[in-house]
Amino acid sequence: MNDQETPSTSPSRRDFLYGTGAAAAATAVTGLAVAETPAAEVQPAGATPASGPGALKVTLNVNGREVQANLEPRVTLLDALRNYLDVTGCKRVCDRATCGACTVTLDGKVVYACTVLAIEAQGKQIRTAESLFNEGKPDAVPAAFVRADAQQCGFCTPGFVVAMKTVLQDNPQATPAQIEKGLQGNICRCGTYEQMRDAIYALCNQKRT
Amino acid sequence: MPWPTTRRLIGTKIQRLDGVEKATGRAKYAFDIKRPRMLFAKVIRSPHAHATIKSIDTAAAEKVAGYRALYQIKKAGASVFFAGDEILAIAADTEEHLEDCVRAVRIEYTVQPHAVREDDALRSKTNTTGGPGGNNINAAGDFSTDNFENAFNGLAATHQADYGVGVISHQCLESHGLVAEWDAKQENLTVWASTQAVPNTAEGLRVHFKLKPGQVKCITNYMGGGFGSKFGPDIQGIAAAELARTTRQAVKLMLDRAEEVTVGGIRPSAYGNVKIGATKEGQIRAYEVECHGTGGISRGATVSFAILPYVYGPAIPNIKRRHRVARTNIQIARAMRAPNHPQNSILTELAIDDLAARLNINPMTLRLANLPPNDQAEAQANPRTFVGQRATIYRTEIEIIRKMCGWDRAWHAPGQGGKGVVKTGLGMALHTWGGGGRGPNPTRVTINQNGTVVAQSSSQDLGTAQRTVTAIIVAEILGLQPTDITVNLGDSSFGPSTPSGGSTTCPGTSPAILKAAETARDAFLTSLAGRLNVQRNQLSIAPGVVVNMANNQRIPFRQACGMLNVASIQGNGDWPTQKELQGNAKLREEWTTRLSNQGVGGVQIAEVKVDTETGVVKCSRFWAVQDCGLIINKLACESQVAGGVIMGLNYALYEECIYDRATGRQVNPNMEFYKLAGIADMPSIKVHMHDMPERGVIGIGEPPTIATAAAVGNAIFNATGVRVPIAPYTPERVLAALANRRAGNG
Repeated sequence: MNDQETPSTSPSRRDFLYGTGAAAAATAVTGLAVAETPAAEVQPAGATPASGPGALKVTLNVNGREVQANLEPRVTLLDALRNYLDVTGCKRVCDRATCGACTVTLDGKVVYACTVLAIEAQGKQIRTAESLFNEGKPDAVPAAFVRADAQQCGFCTPGFVVAMKTVLQDNPQATPAQIEKGLQGNICRCGTYEQMRDAIYALCNQKRT
Repeated sequence: MPWPTTRRLIGTKIQRLDGVEKATGRAKYAFDIKRPRMLFAKVIRSPHAHATIKSIDTAAAEKVAGYRALYQIKKAGASVFFAGDEILAIAADTEEHLEDCVRAVRIEYTVQPHAVREDDALRSKTNTTGGPGGNNINAAGDFSTDNFENAFNGLAATHQADYGVGVISHQCLESHGLVAEWDAKQENLTVWASTQAVPNTAEGLRVHFKLKPGQVKCITNYMGGGFGSKFGPDIQGIAAAELARTTRQAVKLMLDRAEEVTVGGIRPSAYGNVKIGATKEGQIRAYEVECHGTGGISRGATVSFAILPYVYGPAIPNIKRRHRVARTNIQIARAMRAPNHPQNSILTELAIDDLAARLNINPMTLRLANLPPNDQAEAQANPRTFVGQRATIYRTEIEIIRKMCGWDRAWHAPGQGGKGVVKTGLGMALHTWGGGGRGPNPTRVTINQNGTVVAQSSSQDLGTAQRTVTAIIVAEILGLQPTDITVNLGDSSFGPSTPSGGSTTCPGTSPAILKAAETARDAFLTSLAGRLNVQRNQLSIAPGVVVNMANNQRIPFRQACGMLNVASIQGNGDWPTQKELQGNAKLREEWTTRLSNQGVGGVQIAEVKVDTETGVVKCSRFWAVQDCGLIINKLACESQVAGGVIMGLNYALYEECIYDRATGRQVNPNMEFYKLAGIADMPSIKVHMHDMPERGVIGIGEPPTIATAAAVGNAIFNATGVRVPIAPYTPERVLAALANRRAGNG
């Protein structure tokens, strides 16, 4: 992000998004060219015409279900899911793309939901940890976490589960080392990594030495 | 009422009951609660480490869209004593509008001098932290054995050096906070709180609002980490409840990450100059320490003064210690996992290895020669107490870990860690903790006519698998599986319970659960005996069935429940009162040394690889041997130990609160510059539980995090031959120590 866009010396991310116009920020975080364009004129590809700062109707596809909410453009995907849609498997912990507790997938790609705007996520398939429980049963990945006791307080766990599930979805033959690499954007404070490795090896049908 | 001698479930590995809910994101923590028309609230805090509030102007904020109410915590003229000190709280309809409101508040300060580093606080000629006294120093202990001045005379080796560990933060992933909601008549308050003490949190609010017992209910179904920092509503919880009352709407107030780190709790630092000496046979004869530390504005000690030197104290005849608290303009310290024991460990165990090097003996040998002796009188009075057998426990555990890690083969003299750039070393340390339980922890077990079984207490599951512990014990007694038991915890309306701190929950609740389960079982069989026209003693429980010995009939449990002529059978269990325990030695022995107990040992060994060019230390393998009496759930118990080790590795290698001398603020109140390990940073951790079922249930939360950093520090010394004095052992500090050695110092 350009220095000239930074409105104050120590902005919170929301200050930044608010201060610069959400649409411009949206293009910045998606890596497109940033221009000093009035918000209303910016139309990121695939999104509804941007507006704001007032609330607008946003449609999201969450775990296969179309849901709508009136959101200001500055609302992150994480806050939209948690505060407006009551989907709380993604947790707000660091709120700045460090800890991974808010990990969800967007069109199958893992993202930190705290660093994606809700309006950017429109038209994409959003999947949270809740999607890994169907017909009364957990998916193989959360089931492996439970069997290995790879969670204590459990606040970080849905993020780890989504990250691990995505590695295996991308590569069903992933090795334990590859799966572990896929978890490096997540932090657990209770210290369940040893048991997570047990879960990983179990999912790979490999014996830990 | 003893524990069953044949145990079908207790002590085995059992998956936690709520594992699937948590792993699939469906478990609702306090942070996840969404109530109808719920407002959001935030606390506005001082940016200055020490200041007087000149003026507070909320006029603009009150005009912002979405503004609902404010709650004044401090008034103009009041002082603030750390960056993060609370001034007022605001409620708004959305978090977005709340941010706008917060931004519109104008507060002016008269900035005062501050001290945020220990050395600045020790030098300060004024009191910058409030309360009595003309400076920032508190004497916190001065002790000496008789004739200490001659203690070091004639010893074969002495070593004197500085050691220490900095301030760290609890960094609970679920931050502190709660959702507060009053009923329509504004009489009864319900809070969904992230707390380690459900009834205490309700009580704190009840007292604040001057309500009658039962008018405040606290609910904590799931809890995202506390580590000693969450025992009451806190100021932000009171603010949320006040705002909820003013607005007649539910209010959620959870701290953001920067707040969580700057006001949600710190563990105090400890730095000391240690002198230690031994005979040529390796008998430690003298230990002297001059130490200080800071717990922010707290006046409390930052070491466990009475047991410094740690573990080995009872074996060392000459001891002198002095402790000063350096009060700084930082949040007040909170209890953190084994309060003050890691600091004691650092100030003892590192000196032991440095002394072993001076004596040119193996540090394991030196430890074995200086174990705290078994107290013979205690051992005779009651063979199950810790002090009566501590040397035996440590000796056994050291022998187990020696074989586990191949110490005899792998250990080498300090500095002999290999010819390459990366040096390998092994280090060890011991620890101890109390971990005893107490009442009240009333538990109710209900057997229903429809075959369901419900266990209920107000105790909380912090991730310790307390819910599962409850189910295991009830299922053991009723011949069922843990998944057959519905466990309801974390609701203050279920009665009192002890806070989950100090590794006291499992030992505090397990005997009460056992009693409730047995009482329910006996009432159930008595009732059934009436229905079957047999004597009560002709009925017994076997796995899945009630056995009628009169006719050798085995009635499936659910079917037996269906025969009841009442809707449900209840059994209540709790501890005897303190008065009853004090007045009855036999009862006391049963509850505090057979059903539960206190006092554990524990030994840990780290293997590290030190890159002498970059200063990066990688812990490559780790071993932990731990006793905790009768183990209820071996799976969760081993998880606790490995988790404690990882917390220890974090403060050994990565995490520290760093405060800026000029601004008085913490520079890393976040998770990117406050370093916590990811999975790739962590070694393989081998845990061995030294099971001692005859001792009863003892807590396991604190002990496994105590010795870890000292073991790592000693492993670095073993690898490089250079002592890195202060934890965390960051690349910068490792390189500085190596450079210092090259320069011929140290």
